Amino acid sequence: MVASELRSDVAATFDVLSWELELAGARCIFLDTLIGKLLGTVAPEHREQLIEGIQAVDLLSQHLTGLSTFARSLSQTVAAPEQIEVGAALQSVTLGALADRMTSSFGGDEAGINDGDDAGDLDLF
Amino acid sequence: MNMVQPGTRILVADSDRAVLEMLQIRLDLAGYHALAARSGPAALEMAHNMRPALMVLDLAITEMTAFEVMAALQRDVSRPCGQILLVGKRLGVDEVKRGAALGVRACMLKPFSGADLVERVSKMLKPASPAPPPASAVGSRMPPAGRPSSSSDVFI
Repeated sequence: MVASELRSDVAATFDVLSWELELAGARCIFLDTLIGKLLGTVAPEHREQLIEGIQAVDLLSQHLTGLSTFARSLSQTVAAPEQIEVGAALQSVTLGALADRMTSSFGGDEAGINDGDDAGDLDLF
Repeated sequence: MNMVQPGTRILVADSDRAVLEMLQIRLDLAGYHALAARSGPAALEMAHNMRPALMVLDLAITEMTAFEVMAALQRDVSRPCGQILLVGKRLGVDEVKRGAALGVRACMLKPFSGADLVERVSKMLKPASPAPPPASAVGSRMPPAGRPSSSSDVFI
């Protein structure tokens, strides 16, 4: 299905949002671990800056995980199978890989053009 | 905190890329070696080549049904996969029973958090502990009557 015509029920929409927030949170935890490993390799005068960075990333990770939990809870409380249009909203997502992944999660066709190095999404693996 | 045998291979078979990537990161950070497959045939091929200790299998995996994947694993005498954790949005009693007959050890209802899944994987891979004392000595751990445990907690 063409992304602009995609529709989804409200619970599934919250689910997709929840997975994306959780993925972003997991990437922050990955980054947090990476900065933690770097901490032992930098000169003492730069460590304070790195520690501030770790704290900021940790807070961001908790923020995203909290929002993910919220979206997941909402998905479990929605009863009505009301459909909403998600296609137009998806088109406003400018991060290519994210839009492509969400389109796929909603059952649409993946464009497959946003998986490259220039997609703007962080490729960890 | 549960100790993880470094490099224990966990195969995640899920068609949803966000779920797949999130679980890969979470499992890697927990010390496992996470592998990913986006379709039933890919999951079977990876299981055969990598022989994971555990497979997290989504009920809605594409190109084959999850039950076809499990049946193929069961038929394989080389036993390519240690344990199976079945996950899914529409996991009901029938799916759990059918999965159990095909070797599923535990089920989790979607959506779940990455932390919940890592905890479940860790519990499944934990070596069996000595037999617990009789229930009369520690008190019953059964849920109260009329309040079954949620389907996201099913251990088979």
